[in-house]
Formats: sequence, structure tokens, C-alpha cells
Amino acid sequence: MPLDTSAYSLALLRVDGRRWNELRRVHAQIRTQAAADGSSYLEMGHTKVMCVVTGPSEPGARRGGTTGGAGGGGNNAAEVSVTVVVAGFSSVDRKRRGRGDKRNLELQSTISNALAASLHTHLYPHSTISISLHVLSQDGSLLAALINAATLACVDAGIPMTDYVVACTAGSTSTYAANDEDADPLLDLNHQEEQELPSLTVATLGATDRVAVLVCESRVQASRLEGMLAVGVDGCKQVREILDRVVRDKGRKMVSEGTVERGIGLESMDLD
Amino acid sequence: MPREAEPSLNEKQFVLQALKEDVRLDGRDLDQYRPLELTFGDQHGVAEVTLGKTKVLVKTSAEVTVPYPDRPLDGIFTIATELSPMTAPSFEVNRPTETEVLLARLLEKTVRRSGALDTESLCLVAGQKVWSVRVDVHVLSHDGNLTDAACFAVVASLRHFRKPDTSMEGGVLTVYTPAEREPVPLSWLHSPFCISWSFYGDMGEIAVLDATWVEEQVRVGSCTISLNRHGEICQIAKLGGTPVEAVALLQCTSVALAKAKELSGLLDTKLAEDAKRRDKGGLLAELSAENDR
Repeated sequence: MPLDTSAYSLALLRVDGRRWNELRRVHAQIRTQAAADGSSYLEMGHTKVMCVVTGPSEPGARRGGTTGGAGGGGNNAAEVSVTVVVAGFSSVDRKRRGRGDKRNLELQSTISNALAASLHTHLYPHSTISISLHVLSQDGSLLAALINAATLACVDAGIPMTDYVVACTAGSTSTYAANDEDADPLLDLNHQEEQELPSLTVATLGATDRVAVLVCESRVQASRLEGMLAVGVDGCKQVREILDRVVRDKGRKMVSEGTVERGIGLESMDLD
Repeated sequence: MPREAEPSLNEKQFVLQALKEDVRLDGRDLDQYRPLELTFGDQHGVAEVTLGKTKVLVKTSAEVTVPYPDRPLDGIFTIATELSPMTAPSFEVNRPTETEVLLARLLEKTVRRSGALDTESLCLVAGQKVWSVRVDVHVLSHDGNLTDAACFAVVASLRHFRKPDTSMEGGVLTVYTPAEREPVPLSWLHSPFCISWSFYGDMGEIAVLDATWVEEQVRVGSCTISLNRHGEICQIAKLGGTPVEAVALLQCTSVALAKAKELSGLLDTKLAEDAKRRDKGGLLAELSAENDR
């Protein structure tokens, strides 16, 4: 075991001083790249990711291996193609991952399928929405951060969508072997906790209880799932609030700066 | 790049409408598997699984190699998945499709990451000699639900497999042939099974087990849950698709647990049957001079 979390039961504080139901600091920005159709930058604790969205645009020459391939292949609906680039300096050990890395391909396909279900891709037949994600720093909850960043960038790109796809992770203080009933579920795990404790990534559609992505890669008692899922879904609602605030703040700022015109029916919008 | 032929519009609508009325094309219940058949080959570690028209052949083999330098005490365990053009024309050799990558990842997470095989027991001489166990998955025919069939076949093959016995004496490693010493089974810790749900309807409210190829083509989402009979979840993968109510997913998990127990029971009886078939009294029977005369 790389780390001793047994201290948790004494003070009910986690290794970074959080309570069981607290998120790490989420900091997000949208429209960070002026040249892109949509872009975002998101930090969840020390996990930092950047996202650039191009499109919906005419599909270019197909590049093998990088496409997510969801959304019907570009006939009746736009194809959402996702590339994830993990920077070599993003984690402690400098590991090179090739383009054909299966974990990376799985990440791309997951993000692509999750967003394709929320984006109104049917409005853009014969086109491609390409989402390019860059991981700058990794400290757990990577998939969740990537999904959140991609959602923000899609909002910035102005692609119609049903609701935000928001994600966060949840874990449990019990190991798979222990059947202790007083184990607490935990919200938003960092890298250390992810290494040691069972965890899952949940992505929901906005503030509803509908789960778009559920990924669990560790062994855990089936009875633990309910608690972890409940905490995860609740965390997603908190994340949605945060992301929504980011989008609204940016919009308000752009209107007050005169970058964009105030929309019809928004006269009552308060500009602070 | 050849594309998979899609079912026609009529076919899609027919399947969907039927599912909305709780009817499946082959007359099964929504949570019923197709007949699952498992046969072992003459060699140890060869398992063939048929699930309706889906057919998977798995072979396990082992050889002695040098361990990875960063893991000197662990044996090597790899699962190689191959979807050849024989399975379906859209699969190509040496160019893994998304299906293949996701299948390989699922098997890896279910069997390898969950620690089903004790890799430390594969170590012979620390840092120098370890067993390298390789599982080759060949999909012979694809009619939906590859994951469940492949996972079942992999677990069956690994539990059926026997590796040559070895001994260490005075720094000399001896690997015995099957004639010298009876081969030994792998050190197996638990048997995980994949259970795949497919979702249909606008809200993903219809959940179906063991989808056929046509049903897989029209589904709006899927969720694969891996469990063992002790009620431990080894892996859950709902990779995108239409969002499904969290409560429904919990319900799916509890049904999946029952199914995993069923599969576990089936595998145990099949293994026992096969052991009985092979058991001719062991080495003693072979050495005995008695005959029928």
C-alpha cells in the first residue's frame, strides 16, 4: 500500500484535509483560445486540462485511430471525434504513451459517446465536431476533468446541447476485502486516494439523476455501489452549479464589454 | 476501410417496436441469456464458448521468460484479443477497431486488474525467470455480446489450464514435462464474469441482457458489469450513450450479480465434468501393469 489512509477513521479528515463530501477546488475558464471555435481550461484540484473544439465543420481526411466514431459516422448526424493528449510532464513519472495506447483510446471513445448523447448532433449532418483535449497535470479524477472541460468548450463553441454533461469521482473508505459497514463514501478522489481506494467516475446529464458515464476500475463490494453512486451523482450536481456559474459570468462579462450583443429578452439580465 | 453493414430501417424499427412491447426476436425474456455452451479441448487451457451464434475460442499457453525490470517478482500475464476478418468483414488484421480495443480493455480490467490470477505465484527466480501466461482470444463468429462470451471463455480457459511443474534445487531450475510430473493449475483467486446490459428507448428505460448483433446495432447505450460470485464488482463500464437513471443501473447490478452466480455455477460443473473425464487414476493407473486380459 503506497499510503496510509487509516488515519481517516480518527479525525474523519482525508489526506488533503477534506471531509467526505467535499469537492476539491474547481477553477474553470472558457474562451481561452481566441482562434478556436470553442475552448476551455479546467482545474479540479491539481488535475489541469485544456480543451479546444473545432467545428461543427466539414469532415476532413479521416485520420485513423484518433476518431471516437460516435454519432452515426457523419451521415445523419455530426460525428464527435475526440483526441486526448497526455503531456509527458503531467504526472510524477514521465511515461510515454503512444497514440495506439488502449487506455487513451478508451478515454477518447468514452468522452465522444458521452457528449454525442447530449449534443444535438442531428442538426449538423455530414460534419465533424472535433474535440482536442490536453492533459497538463494529473492528480486523479482525470476522466471527470476531461468530460467537464469538453462540455465547457462545447458550450463556448455554441453547439446546441440538452444539458451539461458533468462528471466527478466517488470512492469508498473500505477496501474490497473488508466488509465493514461503517465505511464512508468519498467524493472527488485525488491521485493518492485513487491508488488505494475503490473508486468510480460518474457523469450525469445536468442536475438530473441520469447517468451517462459510469466507470469503475477497481474491486469493490456490490453493496458499496449504491452509496458511492449517490455521492457521485450529488457531486455532479455541485459541479454543474460551478460550471454554469463560469459560463454565466463569462457571458455577463462579454455583454458588458460589448464583445457580444445582448440577446433578445435578456434586458432584465443584471450586469454587475 | 470496410464499414459494417447496418441493418435496414425497417429491421431497426421492427426490433425497437418489439422491444417496446417486451418481445425479442428470438422469443427470449429481456433478462434471459441465449443457451451458453462450453467445451474444453483435448489440451489443457483450450476453451470454446458458444452463446447463440456467437462463438469464441480461447487458448492459454505459458512459457518461461525474463520479468519486466520494474516488476522483478511478478509473472507476466497478457490477454491478446484478435478480431479477424473471419469474424466479420469490417474487422481487419493489424488495425484494431473500436470494438476490439474496448473488448481488450474490458477483459484486461475484468480479469487482470481485478487480480483474478496471482501473478506473484508465477515467479520462479526473482528478477530472472518467471512464467509468462498468455491468453489468446479468437472470435470465430460475432452475433452480439462478444464481451460476455469472451470473458467467460477466458476465465474457463485459465481455470482449465495446467502449467508444467517446476522445482528449484541448488540454484538449478528444472521444468518437468507432463510425463515426469503432473502439470499444476494456476494459482487462481476469484472468477469474474462480465454481464452486459443494452439500453433502449429515449430515456434508456428498457434494459436487455445478452443482446444479439441486430439488437446491439439499435441500442442507445450499454453497460458492462463484471462481478464474481462473492458479490464483488470488479469493473463497471458504461462508456457514454444515452443517460440512464441511476436507480435503474443499481437494479441492473443486482440482476447481474444473480447472473454471475449462475455462470459461476455452470463453469464449476463443467470443470468438474471435464476433470472426471480426464481422470484415469493419474500416474498410478498409467504405471500399473494390470490389463483387461
